[in-house]
Amino acid sequence: MLKKMIAVGLCALSTSAGAQAAEKTKVGAAPYGLRAEFANLWVAALKKHPEVTSGKVELTVFDGRYDAVVQNNQIATMITQHFDAIEMIPVDFNGSAPQMKKAKAANIPVVISNSRVNSPDIVSTIECDDVKAGEIIMEAAAKKMGGKGNVVVFQGPIGSAGELDRSKGVKSVLAKYPDIKVLEMKTANWSRAEGLALMENWLTAHPNQINGIIGENDEMALGAIQAVKSHGLNPKDFAIVGVDGVVDAINAVKAGEMFSILQDAEGQAQGGLDLVLHAKLGDSYTPKANVWKQWEKEMPWDGGKGKEYLIPWTVITQANADQIIQHQKDLMSK
Amino acid sequence: MQTETQNQTEVVPTSAPMTGSNRNKVQALATRYGIVIAFFLLCVVLSFLNKYFLTTGNVVNILQQTSINGILALGMTLVILTGGIDLSVGSVMAISSMVAATFVSGDHPRSLWLVVPLGLSVGAFLGFINGLTVAYLKVPSFVATLGMLSVARGITYAYTDGQPVPNLSDTFLSLGEGTVLGVPLPIVVLAVLFGFLWWVLTHTTYGRSIYAVGGNVRSARAAGISTKRITASVYIFSGALAAMGGLVLAARTSAALPQAGVGYELDAIAAVVIGGTSLTGGVGSAAGTLLGALIIGTINNGLDILGVSSAYQQIVKGAIIIVAVLLDYSRHSNE
Amino acid sequence: MLLRARGVAKAFSGVPALSNGQLDLQAGSIHALCGGNGAGKSTFLNIITGTLRRDSGTIRFKGKEVDFHGPKEALDAGISIITQELSPIPGMTVAENLYLGQLPLRFGLAVDWPTLYQRAEELLGTLGFKINPRRQMRELSLAQIQLVEIAKAMNREDSSVLIMDEPTSALGEQEAELLFASVRRLAALGKGIIYVSHRMTEIFKLCDAYTVFRDGQFVATGQTKDTDRKQLVSAIIGRNYQDQFPATKAQITATPLLRVKHLGVRGRLDDINLEVYPGEVLGIYGLGGSGRSRFLSTLYGLNRMDSGEVSLNEQRVRIKSPRDAIRHGVALVTEDRKTTGLVLTSSVKENISLSSLPRLSWFGIIKRMREMEWTNRWMQALRIKAASTKLEVRFMSGGNQQKVVLARALETEPKLLLLDEPTRGVDAGAKQEIYGFVENHRQKGNGVIMVSSEVDEMLGISTRIIVFRRGKIAAHFENLNLSGADLLHAAS
Repeated sequence: MLKKMIAVGLCALSTSAGAQAAEKTKVGAAPYGLRAEFANLWVAALKKHPEVTSGKVELTVFDGRYDAVVQNNQIATMITQHFDAIEMIPVDFNGSAPQMKKAKAANIPVVISNSRVNSPDIVSTIECDDVKAGEIIMEAAAKKMGGKGNVVVFQGPIGSAGELDRSKGVKSVLAKYPDIKVLEMKTANWSRAEGLALMENWLTAHPNQINGIIGENDEMALGAIQAVKSHGLNPKDFAIVGVDGVVDAINAVKAGEMFSILQDAEGQAQGGLDLVLHAKLGDSYTPKANVWKQWEKEMPWDGGKGKEYLIPWTVITQANADQIIQHQKDLMSK
Repeated sequence: MQTETQNQTEVVPTSAPMTGSNRNKVQALATRYGIVIAFFLLCVVLSFLNKYFLTTGNVVNILQQTSINGILALGMTLVILTGGIDLSVGSVMAISSMVAATFVSGDHPRSLWLVVPLGLSVGAFLGFINGLTVAYLKVPSFVATLGMLSVARGITYAYTDGQPVPNLSDTFLSLGEGTVLGVPLPIVVLAVLFGFLWWVLTHTTYGRSIYAVGGNVRSARAAGISTKRITASVYIFSGALAAMGGLVLAARTSAALPQAGVGYELDAIAAVVIGGTSLTGGVGSAAGTLLGALIIGTINNGLDILGVSSAYQQIVKGAIIIVAVLLDYSRHSNE
Repeated sequence: MLLRARGVAKAFSGVPALSNGQLDLQAGSIHALCGGNGAGKSTFLNIITGTLRRDSGTIRFKGKEVDFHGPKEALDAGISIITQELSPIPGMTVAENLYLGQLPLRFGLAVDWPTLYQRAEELLGTLGFKINPRRQMRELSLAQIQLVEIAKAMNREDSSVLIMDEPTSALGEQEAELLFASVRRLAALGKGIIYVSHRMTEIFKLCDAYTVFRDGQFVATGQTKDTDRKQLVSAIIGRNYQDQFPATKAQITATPLLRVKHLGVRGRLDDINLEVYPGEVLGIYGLGGSGRSRFLSTLYGLNRMDSGEVSLNEQRVRIKSPRDAIRHGVALVTEDRKTTGLVLTSSVKENISLSSLPRLSWFGIIKRMREMEWTNRWMQALRIKAASTKLEVRFMSGGNQQKVVLARALETEPKLLLLDEPTRGVDAGAKQEIYGFVENHRQKGNGVIMVSSEVDEMLGISTRIIVFRRGKIAAHFENLNLSGADLLHAAS
């Protein structure tokens, strides 16, 4: 069904492109899957990019359905359909190298957003540094705990790129705090429901011993908060941290229940589009995304020639929470 | 629950001479009690390994974590008793809770008395479609509900563009965190549903008909049972119970999440199978399923508090399912 | 002489199944092998085709003494059998089915399709079967499938004896004609055919010779042109009946309990007219496929009826489901208790009360005390032996299982009880008991329709007998001073 729709869409695209000559740039956007809040935000941001709204770029979105094979087929489709450029969030770090090579051979630049791929054939990568994220949240938790106490760590799906990097960051900071002891470290597969059950069981196994709750993403941390509450405890008595800045997490920050940092979907999406358009159209193209102005110092445009752009994490505070939520709502509105 | 198991196997002595073989009955008893014994042993071992295992708090934990799977599994029991299967429960729970959640999210939440029936009707309606497809259009249940698994999940994502529905009203959240006489509501819901379904299966003509349809649909029809209506109806039950599970899950996670319940059908089926219900239909009980769900919940909990890696949890769970099915087979090959 | 068997005997754990099997088969002959159930035909054929080893006797095939050690040896020698259970592979073509296991290969690897189809066409052509070898088996009619099976049996060049066991039992009249023509053609090719059938008409139409077995013994043989139906049937039956049945016969009263007018089911039943009066047992006799079971299941609402009307106590009724039937006081004991009678995984109690649940409940809630009471009553009345009412019926003996099905039917208190082969697979003692229960039910002023293939039971407990043949009523016997031969004659 989905394939059919895409095919129909592609037909429509190619005829309209033929009619309006070569002025429009055809860009394929390939997120890992459209089921996550983040991916939808990312797509919404792309659609709000000035080049897209002005009609200079024609954007087609491919749902990778969390399957590297599906995504690779989509990249192949984009190559045969002569897309001008591709921006993608890969399903798997190692899964797409041959497709990247083919795209390069077909002279189609690829920019990786939000994640990384194991391939030399891409133009560049724009993402938030996951190792850094691990460091920031662990530092924040350690600070609230006064540098000592016991923590439990919720990991992402074991072996996934996000889990590997964020765990690395968390562990590197833990090494600096000999008085912080890790009671448990286990995966809850990014899931709130799993995080909830796991936290309940840990609260049982370590009664009154847990001081810090480290969620490698917000969903698991939110599940843990539920568990803390259902045990009649106050989340504010714990150092609870998460990553990503999903809506519920922003609200929890507002309520003083947790610490979280924002994964800038808009910056990653729009910045990535700038990079890939620059790669296609040359130096005449100037970046349009807000993210370049916002982080002028931390992440300079550098003529679009950089290999890796790391967008700094925004710490969510009670002061900026409402603003962030409103901004995301604006993005999602059609 | 243990008394119920005894009831099921109670032997009424008559003056007539024995014709059924003793050995078979002993084996049947052992199979039924085997699960109870296994559960008991599991609890004993875990309480030796961890001093917190047998605390009130942890028992409440286990029950609470079992509640959602238990609710789904009860509905699944009815379906499997008729010889069918319902793979769509995970998706149905997601869409039902999403629909319900949109009415309790934001500044003007509706009353629970409206929203809970609404959510249940969504589930029941999708179950109704499953039932029609299976009973009247003769599509194998595996295929029909596999289709529904995909359709319902798709609708869920389309419904809110993949966004969760947060900010649920406090009254709705009480479905997950509220208590009745100190007992958390999810446990109360599970207990009430269990009692109801146990009663339906053992004390009503409807329950009898379910067993008959699953045991031998042609005999049931010849005996005057409306087999199609019975077959269709169990999917409605399953859908409604999946919806109930979805509401509790949303309340517990304080948001209706579009990816909620992915893969939950497998745990529900596992609970039913471990509980001794035959996948070919006609044999099984609500009590067995409750026990099956408790065993799964207890293993998850026990291995968590012992700090065992989740990889081993999956191995243990899988092994138990296989053993349970083997027991089931040995029971059937006794003839 | 193609095949000559003398004094062939076989016993199973001391019980003789065949004590003197004898048969002479000429090349080019269609030879009928006749006999009732338990006459020893199957054992004899199994020995000839190598499935069983004989205990004693001689078999000479093409003049040589043979003793096959297995079906493959018999096949290799040129003796094939087509049983009642056909085993085509529906997804394969006719040609593939014909040459399964010996497909012609190209370079020893890929199937050589042109050669395969060419060979199949030649084979079917030689036999005169008009079937396209490229068609899939699932597209063929039952008769065509049977022809393919015959061709498969004949596709060995040296195949010379073909055994056919009730080949027309599932065929319609036209299909049967098609089959007969093919069988005659095979005979004309010089093959010898042993043809097993219960249908006298067929035997006299098709076969030139006959041999009769009874009780494991050779009884008679000869040319069909030298005998007639009555003689042949007498040879098959050769027994005395009526000494083991309740003797009382009913008086037919004024208003019929059941009146069936012009009942028809497309392709199965045609213009059935009959009445059943209170206090009588109407026996329906017929061969397999005659429509007798279909008639009962149609009355009971298991099948749709296409035309005609049914009245109970002169009131027209429309019975669309078994539920309706039970509500109207009609109950059915089905032919096969395991597949359509019992819920094997349920208990004795649950099986007995299954049809009476509406009367045993209050708004869907079962009255458990009353259920227990009724169950115990029927278990005592029918002398059902079980350690407990909660025993699963699959652990019970055949006779007890049959009584459970009967108890279920009787518990609905039917005015009209329909029995389809009520004593099949039941031991002698239980049989007698079941006859007693039927008689008892009749004497209370209820009606019974009983379908049975057992001639003696039919003559023993019926008050009247109707014979079905190919979906129609072929004969009606009010006066039961008749023999099994008369019945068999009317039915075939």
